[in-house]
Amino acid sequence: MSVPQTVETALADRPVEGATCLEAGAGVGNTTRGLLEQGAGHVYAVTNNAEHARDLRSSLTSHEASRTSILEADLQSTPLESNAVDLITAHGLCNVVPPAVLGRISAELARIAAPGAHLVVDDYEPLPDDAAISDLFAVENAASELADGTPALTFYPSDMLRRVFEGHGLTFDRKRILLDPVPWTISHVEAHANLARKTASNLPRRLADPLAAELDRLVEEIGSESTGTMYSLAFRMSER
Amino acid sequence: MTGDMEARKLGDTDQETTVATFGAIALNWLEQEGANQMIEHALDHGVNHFDVAPQYGDAELKLGPKLRQHREDIFLGCKTQKREYDGARHKLERSLDRLGIDTINLYQVHGLEYEEELDTITGEGGALEAFREAKAEGLIDHIGLTSHGDPDLIIDAIDRIDDLETLMFPLNPVVMAKTDAEYDYEAVLERANEEGLGTLIIKAFARGPWPSEAELPVEDRPYANWYEPVDTPEEMRERFNFVASQDVTSVVTPGDPKLVSMAFDAASRYEPLDEAAQRSLIEKLRHEDSPVPEQLHH
Repeated sequence: MSVPQTVETALADRPVEGATCLEAGAGVGNTTRGLLEQGAGHVYAVTNNAEHARDLRSSLTSHEASRTSILEADLQSTPLESNAVDLITAHGLCNVVPPAVLGRISAELARIAAPGAHLVVDDYEPLPDDAAISDLFAVENAASELADGTPALTFYPSDMLRRVFEGHGLTFDRKRILLDPVPWTISHVEAHANLARKTASNLPRRLADPLAAELDRLVEEIGSESTGTMYSLAFRMSER
Repeated sequence: MTGDMEARKLGDTDQETTVATFGAIALNWLEQEGANQMIEHALDHGVNHFDVAPQYGDAELKLGPKLRQHREDIFLGCKTQKREYDGARHKLERSLDRLGIDTINLYQVHGLEYEEELDTITGEGGALEAFREAKAEGLIDHIGLTSHGDPDLIIDAIDRIDDLETLMFPLNPVVMAKTDAEYDYEAVLERANEEGLGTLIIKAFARGPWPSEAELPVEDRPYANWYEPVDTPEEMRERFNFVASQDVTSVVTPGDPKLVSMAFDAASRYEPLDEAAQRSLIEKLRHEDSPVPEQLHH
């Protein structure tokens, strides 16, 4: 699988070569692969999703795997020692982190960052008011709130994430626009709808059925849409 | 209607080529009167570079009358698939005759596909001998090459043909989204620019291959192109803006006459895309290619 240009662009001005890196929220491993491709010494790919961990493990070549540790862990409390890594990436992580947890995860990332370490945070600005896909994300959030009281998605403004990480002693370095507009393709729309359907399926029928019907309608109506902005923020940890 | 389309220097030549090059293959599907109108339409948009080939049915013959009428306003590219001296010389004379003109501005090796062909073309008794002789005689002004083959082979051709002045090859966000070497036409562009070659881009409007014959029989295809093209004004404009934003000279209009006017319009209204917008288009097409694994993010 190829490394997305968003990842390449976000890493392009960071010192990856030889660095001990951590991908926070490894997902399907796009950033882990990007870091390995750019010569990372070692990558800790951290995910709390067992399926993602398994898929990533099986997709790495033996050479890649020798430089990668896949950790199934909660990002609020990782098994890594303090000051352990030179470069941390959170590519598309924060939007799946509920506001109540964001502070603890950012504190944990700051703890494991070595003095002078780099942090890259890539995410989406809140969508424009006229974005049709907002309706889909609203249903996804409704299902999630009903299921466990937390939102599935939160699109944090870049200025806000900047202040959150600055609050943990990181110095803001730069902001780049990765995508403008963001292409929400049919496969993205369906992936989000599938996730919401899965969450809704655990709810009582009287709640689940209307949500599922609304998801079907929205998938049909939205199709695909290019809207919003994806940004990349870079920070440095102080030399302490 | 606009006549002030942006023009760019065609490599190290003195020619200033408009950002759209008219792919005159489109004339093959029109009667003479329609062909004349399409040529006037191109000129009204300010398009000053046309490209034709003897393989395009009777496009050369249909281009002839208006080409002769507006000879000073049109920089004409033509090409030959012949790889040896005799065949190339014969095809050149035949094209000059069918077009009814004395000089072809740019004569191109057409559709390079194999290393052996390159050996023949560049070797003793090869097509390039005929090209060089014709240039000395004033039958052609410049020498070019076209290929939608292996990028490495095209780069090899750049290395081996010292007097090459232009290159025609594919580039679009679909191939730019792929990282395998077989799609690395960006490397071709980089090399062409290093060598001061003019770059003429084909397949800018390709969406992808046609569905299989079982799904869509050839006779039921709605367009004459051998690939499935994008075909809405918005998509055409998006593709044009994307490709013209790369460091290229000009974008060749699609072969089907139904799409040509939209391409001219896109070229007349050309606006460069910034890098985030270019990545957006690449990202959009990257995912269309691989529906699995499911991706929530970009």
